[in-house]
Amino acid sequence: MKKITAVMLLFATTSVVTANENADHAMHQADVFVDGSTVDIDPEQIKQFTSDLQGGQVAVVSVMGMVCDFCARGIEKTFKRDKSVAKVDVDLSKGKVLIAFDTEEPIDRAEIDRKILANGQNVTAVLMLNI
Amino acid sequence: MAFSDQAKNSFYYHYSPTYKFSVGVEAVEIRQNGDEHSYLRLTYLLDRKNTQKSQRNLYLQSGVDPVDLDHYFYGVLGDWETRRLFSGFGYKRIVDNKIDFEENFVQFGIAPYLGDYGDLHTWIMVKSKKNTLFRSWSTYPVLRLFKGNGFAEFGYSDQSQWDIHLMYRF
Repeated sequence: MKKITAVMLLFATTSVVTANENADHAMHQADVFVDGSTVDIDPEQIKQFTSDLQGGQVAVVSVMGMVCDFCARGIEKTFKRDKSVAKVDVDLSKGKVLIAFDTEEPIDRAEIDRKILANGQNVTAVLMLNI
Repeated sequence: MAFSDQAKNSFYYHYSPTYKFSVGVEAVEIRQNGDEHSYLRLTYLLDRKNTQKSQRNLYLQSGVDPVDLDHYFYGVLGDWETRRLFSGFGYKRIVDNKIDFEENFVQFGIAPYLGDYGDLHTWIMVKSKKNTLFRSWSTYPVLRLFKGNGFAEFGYSDQSQWDIHLMYRF
């Protein structure tokens, strides 16, 4: 009992949790469509997301089943392991994941699908934007 | 993951190679008789349905004490949730040489506000639970909070005492 209590206390302690030009370019250069015809993008959101990016590409991914912040954490972690990914943002209200890739190389849509599925959600559409 | 209620205290560490299943070790103290057990646990996602605004899950849970193979448990867990609403249920049968018992629960919740990614998320819930060791159902309010990788759930009733669930995702 003492061991369990000690571990729980330790656990409880650790679980207290603890507009710029580029954006305009992003909107104009939506020239690489993977399967993004149904992606509803918010220009302001893209503008804000790309404000500190100097180049590369942004994937706007529509995801089904992303209803919970805690569950979406895995998506962010999975993509951040990829060295070509500069930043990730999640929009729970619209069911979107924004992924900034620090590369000009073509992005593999199947790889995006696979990573989202590995977290237990499904991709419905992807729109690629060049920054 | 740490859990405490009137029937047991437990600490559970698990790893999910895929979203389909997780394996882990759980240390449990049965409060009724003071027995302690370590389980090897397997949780398997039997079914998941994703839609644009909801997710539904059905899990199989099982565990066995490798030191005492006559001590094991099995059961199912299910939930359906949107960003605003939550419902869930669970059934678990614990087989022991001395005491066999079952745990059942249903849980409903509503999020009073919809936070953005990274915000503190709050759920106000009601849980009804029955442990066959204690015979009757107990219904009580539950507060669920999560932010980032941390998750905490607190419930309390005069009958069941504290029902606490803490989790951290590494």
